[in-house]
Amino acid sequence: MTPGTQIKIKTEVWDDMMRTPDMQVDRSGPPARSRQGDIVFRTQDLAVRYGSVLAVRGVSMDIAANRITAIIGPSGCGKSTLIRCFNRMNDLIPSATVEGTVTYRGEDMYGPHVDPVEVRRRIGMVFQKPNPFPKSIYDNIAFGLKVNGLSDDIDDRVEMALKRAALWDEVRKDLKKSALALSGGQQQRLCIARAIAVQPDVVLMDEPCSALDPIATAKIEDLMRELQSDYTIIIVTHNMQQAARVSDMTAFLTADVREEEDTRTGVLVEYDKTEKIFTNPGDERTEAYITGRFG
Amino acid sequence: MRQGRVHFHEELEDLTLHIQRMGIASRDLFAKAMRALVEEDTAQCDEVIAGDDVVDRFYVECEEKILELFALQTPVASDLRLLTVILHINLHLERVGDMAVNLAKITKLAGGLPRSQTVIQHLEEMGSIALKMIEASMDAFARRDLDLAQTLPVMDEPIDRLNRNMLSEVMQIAGDKRMLEWGIRMHVVSRQIERVGDHAVDIAEQVAFLLTGEFTEFTDASHPELEDRLT
Repeated sequence: MTPGTQIKIKTEVWDDMMRTPDMQVDRSGPPARSRQGDIVFRTQDLAVRYGSVLAVRGVSMDIAANRITAIIGPSGCGKSTLIRCFNRMNDLIPSATVEGTVTYRGEDMYGPHVDPVEVRRRIGMVFQKPNPFPKSIYDNIAFGLKVNGLSDDIDDRVEMALKRAALWDEVRKDLKKSALALSGGQQQRLCIARAIAVQPDVVLMDEPCSALDPIATAKIEDLMRELQSDYTIIIVTHNMQQAARVSDMTAFLTADVREEEDTRTGVLVEYDKTEKIFTNPGDERTEAYITGRFG
Repeated sequence: MRQGRVHFHEELEDLTLHIQRMGIASRDLFAKAMRALVEEDTAQCDEVIAGDDVVDRFYVECEEKILELFALQTPVASDLRLLTVILHINLHLERVGDMAVNLAKITKLAGGLPRSQTVIQHLEEMGSIALKMIEASMDAFARRDLDLAQTLPVMDEPIDRLNRNMLSEVMQIAGDKRMLEWGIRMHVVSRQIERVGDHAVDIAEQVAFLLTGEFTEFTDASHPELEDRLT
């Protein structure tokens, strides 16, 4: 038998374990952060219509702080419609109406006194296709800071945002270079830097890696885990392995198709810990979708 | 992609059939080893020792296929559970094959020594139950039968009891030095048969995991209240 590639094993950890008197290994992981587990979003019987078309209905779910929540499901099940409810992006579509309730840290997001612009500052968004401004790398970050009144220490804020987005080392000498000259993966990390520069509470990501190669995708996924300590992240993804790799919680949506009425409406089928969804889902529709038996 | 997934599910079905065939091969090898023991048949012992190659071939093919499917298909949910369950069952069945070989080798070593018919009857009884347990556990797997899987610990109890009594039975024939040598060898045989029963229980635990998604050990020898069961 041809020997396979050998993995170099670090023996220090094993040596430490052997020195532990009763071989009890703490598997509880890092201590929970104080804010982790707080409810950031709560939707109750959420529905979205585009004109007379009911795109999503009956979504009730809580999204916890400092967790990565993945939304998965087949095309046309309302994933993007749902995520756009969390920063009122659907307001930009004239025919869109939102029913039910969405609270953000206990406040009704769709209340009459809520400023959608302030909502979008606190709840940033990264889109499928990297969309840097046709400006320099520096200005891509600085622009949002100025617009949001964060004009003090701009250089420091730009540097901090680029560092948090794991891009600083690659662009520090070229901050005046056009953002459009960056690779796709770098552009997406720049968009993440731009989103976090204005100190949001939540980052929404709508298929952020679908246009990226595996290396760039891995960098974004690593970055998400890094950012999790400071931000609540919701990601829509078509890539189920990505959802399994990066998220703590997974919501599975599917389309309720009524052929006689020629309608398809997104419904939340199951929402649980990612580990549970991908090892032992509670609903046979989830099972069928993630194992590739439909969809 | 869709076609690839259909292909994957066909491969899972093939793998399921493969492990079922291996179950039959391991069971047959163990049954032959028991017959060779009872009949003191050296020729059958040699057939058992040679026959383990068949089980080992099943084992290696299964292992390679599982590795391939993990690498290429990233299984999830019930597919993931099925693959990990087959991985475990594969190992248990391979061990059953090894134990059949151990029985055959010991039978040959004990050839010509005076025998105790009582001990042989007890070993035969243990072997008969162990065979039924292998069949029941693999049947539970094939039929996805949780109730049947959960009967395995009960089936295992008489084997454990007979195994615990084996030492005192051997001590009763200790007066004859040659018979004692045979008895000591049969005490090892008893332990091997008892382990076959344990492997069947472990397979049944895997079946329960496959069906419920939750892993629980049917029996736990490390539990204090079960210490008196240890030989």
